[in-house]
Amino acid sequence: MANEILSEQINKDYEYGFVTDIEAENAPKGLSEDIIRFISTKKNEPEWMLDYRLKAYRYWLTLEEPHWAHVSYPKPDFQNIIYYSVPKPKKQLGSLDEVDPELLKTFEKLGISIEEQKRLSGVESRIAVDFVMDSVSVKTTFKETLAEKGIIFCSFGEAVQEHPDLVKKYMSSVVPYTDNFYAALNSAVFTDGSFCYIPKGVRCPMELSTYFRINSAGTGQFERTLIIADEDAYVSYLEGCTAPMRDENQLHAAVVEIVAHKNAEVKYSTVQNWYPGDKEGKGGIFNFVTKRGVCLEDNSKISWTQVETGSAVTWKYPSVILKGDNSVGEFYSVAVTNNYQQADTGTKMFHLGKNTRSTIISKGISAGFSNNSYRGLVRIAKGATNARNFSQCDSLLMGDKCGAHTFPYIEIKDKSGIVEHEATTSKIGEDQLFYCKQRGIDNEKAIGLIVNGYCKEVLNKLPMEFAVEAQKLLAVSLEGSVG
Amino acid sequence: MEAAVKTNTLKDRLYSEFETVKNSLLGSLQIREQAMESFLKQGIPNRKSEEYKYVNIDLVLKGEFAFSTDKTTTCEQIKHTKFLKDAIDIVIENGVFIEDLSNIKSLPKGLQVINITDASSNETFSKQYSKYADVNADTFIALNTALAKGGVFIHVAKGTVIETPIHIINISSTKENLIINSRNLIVVEPNAQVKFIESFETVDSSAKTFNNSMTEIVIDENAIVDYYKIQDENENGYLINTTQVYQKKQSVFSTNTITLSGSLVRNNLNIVLDDEHIETHLNGLYLTSGNQVVDNHTLVDHRKPNCNSNELYKGIIEDKSSATFNGKIYVRKDAQKTNAFQSNKNILLSDEGTINTKPQLEIYADDVKCSHGTSTGKLDADKIFYLRARGLSETSAKKLLMHAFASEVVDTLKIEALREYVEEKIAKRFE
Repeated sequence: MANEILSEQINKDYEYGFVTDIEAENAPKGLSEDIIRFISTKKNEPEWMLDYRLKAYRYWLTLEEPHWAHVSYPKPDFQNIIYYSVPKPKKQLGSLDEVDPELLKTFEKLGISIEEQKRLSGVESRIAVDFVMDSVSVKTTFKETLAEKGIIFCSFGEAVQEHPDLVKKYMSSVVPYTDNFYAALNSAVFTDGSFCYIPKGVRCPMELSTYFRINSAGTGQFERTLIIADEDAYVSYLEGCTAPMRDENQLHAAVVEIVAHKNAEVKYSTVQNWYPGDKEGKGGIFNFVTKRGVCLEDNSKISWTQVETGSAVTWKYPSVILKGDNSVGEFYSVAVTNNYQQADTGTKMFHLGKNTRSTIISKGISAGFSNNSYRGLVRIAKGATNARNFSQCDSLLMGDKCGAHTFPYIEIKDKSGIVEHEATTSKIGEDQLFYCKQRGIDNEKAIGLIVNGYCKEVLNKLPMEFAVEAQKLLAVSLEGSVG
Repeated sequence: MEAAVKTNTLKDRLYSEFETVKNSLLGSLQIREQAMESFLKQGIPNRKSEEYKYVNIDLVLKGEFAFSTDKTTTCEQIKHTKFLKDAIDIVIENGVFIEDLSNIKSLPKGLQVINITDASSNETFSKQYSKYADVNADTFIALNTALAKGGVFIHVAKGTVIETPIHIINISSTKENLIINSRNLIVVEPNAQVKFIESFETVDSSAKTFNNSMTEIVIDENAIVDYYKIQDENENGYLINTTQVYQKKQSVFSTNTITLSGSLVRNNLNIVLDDEHIETHLNGLYLTSGNQVVDNHTLVDHRKPNCNSNELYKGIIEDKSSATFNGKIYVRKDAQKTNAFQSNKNILLSDEGTINTKPQLEIYADDVKCSHGTSTGKLDADKIFYLRARGLSETSAKKLLMHAFASEVVDTLKIEALREYVEEKIAKRFE
């Protein structure tokens, strides 16, 4: 299976690098209180939302850009970014026919046809998708089907209008605007995103998904995702992203918040494939994301799975605050860097409740001139009795010009806590390659096979549709990196 | 804000101390001025400094400090610190080498021990002094280089094999708060073999000592050097201990840092492997209790291919004490075929104690085998049960297990008399 995909994909470059010629309404470049008021007015937001934005903006002004990560890049010029870009004057979309055909084509090119989604609606494995292009959500599918179960799945903008109580209650409760530089920026200028609420006792019958696409030039994408799983609820959430090829660096600074109540479970999977820049390291997306979930009550569970192949610079640490007793946090990650890509990614697990457990499996692959770092924190607070963590961080180096790094932080303040951390760094073994080649598998395919095997623990955690995509992506990302 | 002002004044006081005594200090004026400049730029670390985030050094340095004291101890008073019967003892009291208390009258052939303040005429010394520790890498290296005014220079000539261990005894004894900057340089020439023990003790002291002690060790081709540290100061002792090691071709360096007491112990152990086929062993054991803070930072810098390094640090943490391990393995682009291993294991015995561990790998070469592991936990209930089933009381079962845990590190001490001494200390500790 892996082989077929590999051979099919092996000679491809970044294939999502096209630009959709679509009318866009942009705000003027730059950032000021006026721009924030403009965004807020455009989105017809209530007063409290504008206040929140302005508070975040004023706080952001006092902050300095952080530099502690193991990455280097030109400082983004925050006054040279368009903070609001809409694919076309937006009106309420009633049915699929009203969606701009150009837009539909875009998503078809991306391999996620909305039409197909509709056709598949009878089949079991279906996915409800929220498409976010540039700054705003363009279409959410299956809304009605979900509504029957009481599930709310809509764009963030709609949620502010229709479910202000929920938004007010949960927004910023996991990632406050004071959290960090980019979270503050996001809180000030975020334009849209996805909102999802699973009511008590409901098991979401399908995968929910958001597809992010940067299209316009000169824009930054700042979206916000908020997922709430009420008592005994379950949801599996997917996120995918692509961007056109451009010489400039575009900024993506998102915030994702997850709240899991008693016995609830949230599974969040990402396949991140923003444009990584060309072979000389020109262009590409700066991906500075704050993702955090909180296991608010007992027996809840949050699981992050990510496949990171894109972006020129990635900087993200999906975290879990294990507040409820017996809660569980998981982090499974594959991060691939090639050419001049840089990734500094990992997770944070805060053990506060009793009998909390966390698992971290991170697989890094670096090739070309890239640098790939795992940075993680495991903190066991005083009183978090019988907390348990297991971490494994492996790195694979391909070529002698890349770097692989591991920076785990472990802080333990409770004697009953047990924490284990393991990390290895190595290259693909000559004997493994020899074994494959001896059986008639050529070099490149053999590497694809070995890499897929190496990442299997993580890929297995992805929903089926995503696992296939992720395997393809791995092959494409590493294409030409050995030989 | 108040704290910041105080820190500034301390910085100012250090600077004025530098200005008044700069012509009597050791090393060239140029080196020292650069170091002072670098120190003023880096400042005294606080909790926000990434490298010192788990130690409150700025709090330790609050209050008045002197830079030297007159009092000298008698031979009788320090007798117990010379715990090795057969050794070349070198006594450094409050950062100054005291020849009367040392026994360096009849040194083996090829071994030279010189007071560092008299060493500037020595050719090797002036060539090697302050060449390996980068003043811009750490604020305490900068401070030491700027203000050092005592210590020893030890030179082991080509092909010299010294069986008798060399014991460097650092003694703190003061009636007023004291900042000490002692500095040693050890040069081991090709094919030489030598063993060192460096111990830190407090004798008859009633005030705080902040000892910023630093040793540079240069190990030439095929030389074999063992360097063992026993840190056993009392609650008045605050120790920053930097060891900068530079290894050449096919040399072997083994070190063992055993921390038993002292209010604050910060070890910066930096080892540079700058040629092929080098072997390095780093071991450490820390048994912390009370309000003790122990912070071990190690950096193994693999610059050339075909080298091996192996690191093992273990700790048992009791009471309100806190222990930190921060180890970094750095493999440069050219260092192919590197084997580097790192392991840190901790047992936390109390709910007030803290363990912070940060084992790091930074790797730029692909054909390497590097791994690190760390684990933290309590004493295994199954093991305790096993021993109790065989008639041991709970306390003695625990004691036995802790002893076994520590012995993995203690067993690497190659000097038998030293091993016995440490074992005795540990046994007393677990009483």
